[in-house]
Amino acid sequence: MSDQGAKPVDTKQIKEMLDRKEGKMKRYLSHCAHCSLCAESCFLYMAHHKDPQYMPSYKAISSLGKLYKKKGKVDRKLLTEMKGIVWRNCVLCGRCYCPIGIHIPSMIAFARSVLRSQDVYPQLDEVSSESWL
Amino acid sequence: MYNFIQGPLVSIAFVIFILGLIFQFFQFFRLTKKKEWIYPPVDVKREKKTAGKWITFCLASLNGTLWKTDPLVTIVTSVFHVFLILVPVFLLGHNILLNQSWGFSLWSLPESMTDILTGVVLICVAFFLGRRLFLSRVRVITSLYDYVVLLIALAPFLTGYFAYHQWFHYDTVMTVHILAGEVMLITIPFTKLGHMLFFFLYRFFIGNEYSFARGERTW
Repeated sequence: MSDQGAKPVDTKQIKEMLDRKEGKMKRYLSHCAHCSLCAESCFLYMAHHKDPQYMPSYKAISSLGKLYKKKGKVDRKLLTEMKGIVWRNCVLCGRCYCPIGIHIPSMIAFARSVLRSQDVYPQLDEVSSESWL
Repeated sequence: MYNFIQGPLVSIAFVIFILGLIFQFFQFFRLTKKKEWIYPPVDVKREKKTAGKWITFCLASLNGTLWKTDPLVTIVTSVFHVFLILVPVFLLGHNILLNQSWGFSLWSLPESMTDILTGVVLICVAFFLGRRLFLSRVRVITSLYDYVVLLIALAPFLTGYFAYHQWFHYDTVMTVHILAGEVMLITIPFTKLGHMLFFFLYRFFIGNEYSFARGERTW
């Protein structure tokens, strides 16, 4: 099990990862019309009484979008917040539908990779997934 | 200033618009490559559909997508995007200017019709603005940038509507109208409005379950 509190965040590594996929991800993020039409395609959004934080676009914008906006300069607190968004609020089922054609699961999956590179991921000994947020 | 907006800036805007789109188009192909496998596989024989089968297929597809979950937005957004292109391209005034400048023009819609269609575009923008302001699921992902983009799309139509009806000071309204059109053209390739081009690239070229065509490329 990793010690999530001890290791400092390697912002350089995050920046390198973000730069590697910048062409695709930045285009996806910048072309999202913020229309919210992807909402109903997410079963978690429907199952949580249409809570907007379960919308696919919200999840991508508040995780990967924030990472690009801050150019990777994030602290552990923010990464831990993102952990809840990309693991608890999304199961990567790939059913989200974007009318423009943006592939949202690839954005969430990439956000997970960035978080995992900093040892931020769900722990086996966590009492419940609710404790992530 | 007026002469610059009416003269050289029009050409500059068109050059930036066209070159910007070409640049983005080639960047897309540079960043993507042919997939090793495609979905659906090539060897799956595609059923030949008659016209009747096509209509049934399209209706069934609509039923499984946004048409079913959000029919009002589907209608409004479709109408908005069609008229957004149709009105400026087939507007009589624009085509007269085109003829005077370059000696050719496109077919024009009657002015009374483009006036109504402009009104429809304005109503659609009001609808989108209402969603942004009052629907929590849209508000939560809305930033100032979204309002700016909406304003960029709205401005040429609103000022054009004012100019046609000769409301306010005509020369000022016309100058703002031309400037608004130029701003829209310049910003399309480099902002959220770029989905004008990328919608087709994403939906037709990228291999994906929701591709309209057989997407053969991957990032």
